Amino acid sequence: MPDPKAPSNASAVVPSIRRAGDAVVASLRGDIDLHNSPQVRTALLKFVDDNKPKKLVLNLGEVPYMDSSAIAVLVEALQKMRKTGGKVFLTNLQPRVKGLLEIARLDSIFSVVATEEEALAK
Amino acid sequence: MRSYVRPVTNRPITSSRRDSGGASPARRIELKVDSHPANLAAVRKSIETFATDNRFDDKSVAEIGLCVNEAMANVIRHAYGNKTDKPIQVTASADERQIVITLRDWGNGVNPATLPHRPHDPHTPGGVGLICLKQWMDEVSYTPQSDGGILATMIRRRNR
Repeated sequence: MPDPKAPSNASAVVPSIRRAGDAVVASLRGDIDLHNSPQVRTALLKFVDDNKPKKLVLNLGEVPYMDSSAIAVLVEALQKMRKTGGKVFLTNLQPRVKGLLEIARLDSIFSVVATEEEALAK
Repeated sequence: MRSYVRPVTNRPITSSRRDSGGASPARRIELKVDSHPANLAAVRKSIETFATDNRFDDKSVAEIGLCVNEAMANVIRHAYGNKTDKPIQVTASADERQIVITLRDWGNGVNPATLPHRPHDPHTPGGVGLICLKQWMDEVSYTPQSDGGILATMIRRRNR
């Protein structure tokens, strides 16, 4: 049985991250909290550093829950992208995640759209 | 008996549950975990299950769960300086008026209520946890304990 205290596998929470033209599209999966948000941070920021996209699209359709540490990762990704004039899109938000973004007043900071396709088209 | 927790760490998560008698019985659970972030999800889900069983609606349950997570994460990060082998005791009790959740730590004793308040800036990370507590709990208090650490008490009323 795996050691539950071991660091989460980054690929478990970020199962897919790819380039799509001048965008990076990442799908996140599962509940994201203080235990695994560091792995999300590492994976996302490295990909952004390596690829320097104009657009970062984060598909949160399989993320039913995230806490403030996950929100902090999103904000850090946004800050990094903004330094080079890039944008961050959040797509497929589930209700709990949407509620958290609203209470943190982040729904107006990020570009929130329904689907990846809509984000890539903008 | 319904199980509220699943053990996820080397130190067993111990829980106990008590029903009181009477026309409107209060129910209570108690969880003891160590301060490893891997325990956040199990504690949150246990409290959410407890709140659901005590007839809080889905939206309230989600908000209560996140508040418990945020309070516990603050203990891990600030009271214990990210040490993962320190004790945290969580209780929840409910009656017809409200749910009361407590978190007890034996950490550095810094009282979050005495820290300088910084207005939340959405452009910078940090501070979202406290916003959740303020928005989604009706009362939040921190009581220094004589044997060290803090007892945090959070109350969410049914009729908000």
